[in-house]
Amino acid sequence: MKTPEVLLGLKVFVVEDEAIIAMMLEDMLTDLGCSVIGPCTGMKQAQEMLAGSETPNVAILDVNVGGEQVYPVASVLAERGVPLVFATGYGSVGLAEQWRSRVTVQKPYTQDDIARALDAALAG
Amino acid sequence: MAEINFKLLFEQLPSPYMVLDADLRFVAANPAYLAVTMRRWDELEGQNVFEMFPEPGENGRLLAASFQRVLQSGQADTLAYLPYAIAIPDRNGGGLAYRYWSAVHTPLPGPDGRTAFILQNAVDVTDLVSAEAGAALPFGQIPEATSLLQRAQETALLKEQAAREAEEFRRLFQDAPSMIAVLSGPDHRFTFANDAITSFLGGRVLVGSALRDSLPDIAAQSFMDWLDQVYRNGEPVSGNSVPIHVERPGSGRVDLFVDFAFHPIFADDGSVKGVFVQGMDRTVDVEAERRQRILLDELNHRVKNTLATVHSIAKQTLKDSESPAIARASFEARIMALSHAHDLLSRSSWAGADLRTILTRELNPYGPGRADLEGDPVRLAPRAAVALGMVAHELATNAAKFGALSTGTGRIMAKWRLDTAKSGKTLNLAWRELGGPVVAPPSRRGFGSRLIAMSLEGELGGTTDLRFDPDGVTCEISIPYEDDAPHENA
Repeated sequence: MKTPEVLLGLKVFVVEDEAIIAMMLEDMLTDLGCSVIGPCTGMKQAQEMLAGSETPNVAILDVNVGGEQVYPVASVLAERGVPLVFATGYGSVGLAEQWRSRVTVQKPYTQDDIARALDAALAG
Repeated sequence: MAEINFKLLFEQLPSPYMVLDADLRFVAANPAYLAVTMRRWDELEGQNVFEMFPEPGENGRLLAASFQRVLQSGQADTLAYLPYAIAIPDRNGGGLAYRYWSAVHTPLPGPDGRTAFILQNAVDVTDLVSAEAGAALPFGQIPEATSLLQRAQETALLKEQAAREAEEFRRLFQDAPSMIAVLSGPDHRFTFANDAITSFLGGRVLVGSALRDSLPDIAAQSFMDWLDQVYRNGEPVSGNSVPIHVERPGSGRVDLFVDFAFHPIFADDGSVKGVFVQGMDRTVDVEAERRQRILLDELNHRVKNTLATVHSIAKQTLKDSESPAIARASFEARIMALSHAHDLLSRSSWAGADLRTILTRELNPYGPGRADLEGDPVRLAPRAAVALGMVAHELATNAAKFGALSTGTGRIMAKWRLDTAKSGKTLNLAWRELGGPVVAPPSRRGFGSRLIAMSLEGELGGTTDLRFDPDGVTCEISIPYEDDAPHENA
């Protein structure tokens, strides 16, 4: 799949607590022409980085971050109007009720899955 | 006005009367009673009635049951027809007199208001019964008194039989393992509640009171609507694993699950007069199912995460490798390193793994004596164990390709210790290559370097210092350490 034009140069905020998966996601986003904010591997780091950085264009959030749920970070991003993609091993059923309508990408995912999910989040 | 002498009245009554105390001992008997039983008062006084007139059979049981009913209920009890043989004293010729009685037992309260005595009026109806036996002969005439007696007799038998059956059912229901209750009327008044439902509801007194009064906690839930519905429509209502909260006196609110069935009880005219309630506490099963679902979800989550990890390793290994052969070898080695860490953890049921064991496992392939490991036993939480296992693998393979383990004489020295500060414990680990060839810094940042930074700094919140010094690679690692590995979700 050719990189959609719309993704080029996007600033993507990434929360993923598993280092090895975060490395891959970073590679995928770089390949898609995006720049990565993060990856944040913990909630504390994510909240600090969010407070100290310019508003991202879109965010990819792992739901379960070191035993905590990512929703506090999701809420801040949603308030700032940032489109969200949730990455989870459960699919959308693994999401809390209020976030079910959001775009999800199920682990393991490919680069194309990520591109499509970002596209859908930006369009939605 | 002249006063009545009640003692004299008692003496003069033509019908046999006697009084028993609560232990069924004779307290008084009038001359009519003494005559009919052929006893003197000094023989009866203070004696237990059943020792005086033993009757080990069914009729003795009936009489005893009647006394007990009076003592327990404080209500009069009638035995319309009771065959009861009494021993004839020797002075009267001895033997047994087969007699038929009609008895009324009336409670007499003591000073505290409770039943202290039983007054018995027992009429000897043996002659009437004998007349009835004669009437059974062909062409016999049935005197009026006999047919009256016969009716009394039949009624008594039916009543006794029905009472016995009802008692048997009541006992079965009372002890049944499932919850059973009978509610009566539009306000669902308990007329029966067995032990199971009583204990489920926290031991509250149910019988006699309306559900709204005795169980306000239950009345506030949907169960009340369903009972109303059954009472109104005459159609049963049931449910499976329905959540219910119960305010148990003394132990407070508990959240439970029940299977239940509410069935209407119909009156003779077809109207609903009550509701038959059955229930089963399903809390244990529901919780077991829930635990299993959580475990399955967790398993699914871990499998997906592991697949994503393997996917990531594959993708990055392929990207970094110069040839397919090298890619295949390093991919396999990385998957094996991941697997080793999992093996160590699964041996402890994912409680943790020992640092020395993790390092030994990754350095063993390079032969004995190639590594000096120094440090106290340190048990690593699952996340740290996997991360350090993977990092040790990357450091060791790098040493084998370019550093101290690429020659016959080089060695690895790994030292660690736990340092305690106010902010908590820190694990400090120093990795040093000794005696290898001159090291040149790598031309680009590979998987290993990224992994060290991302997993130890990012994931574990530690610090790392990886240096490609000419006399050997060194890596200083510092990660927060927790004694009690907290519950982790991968």
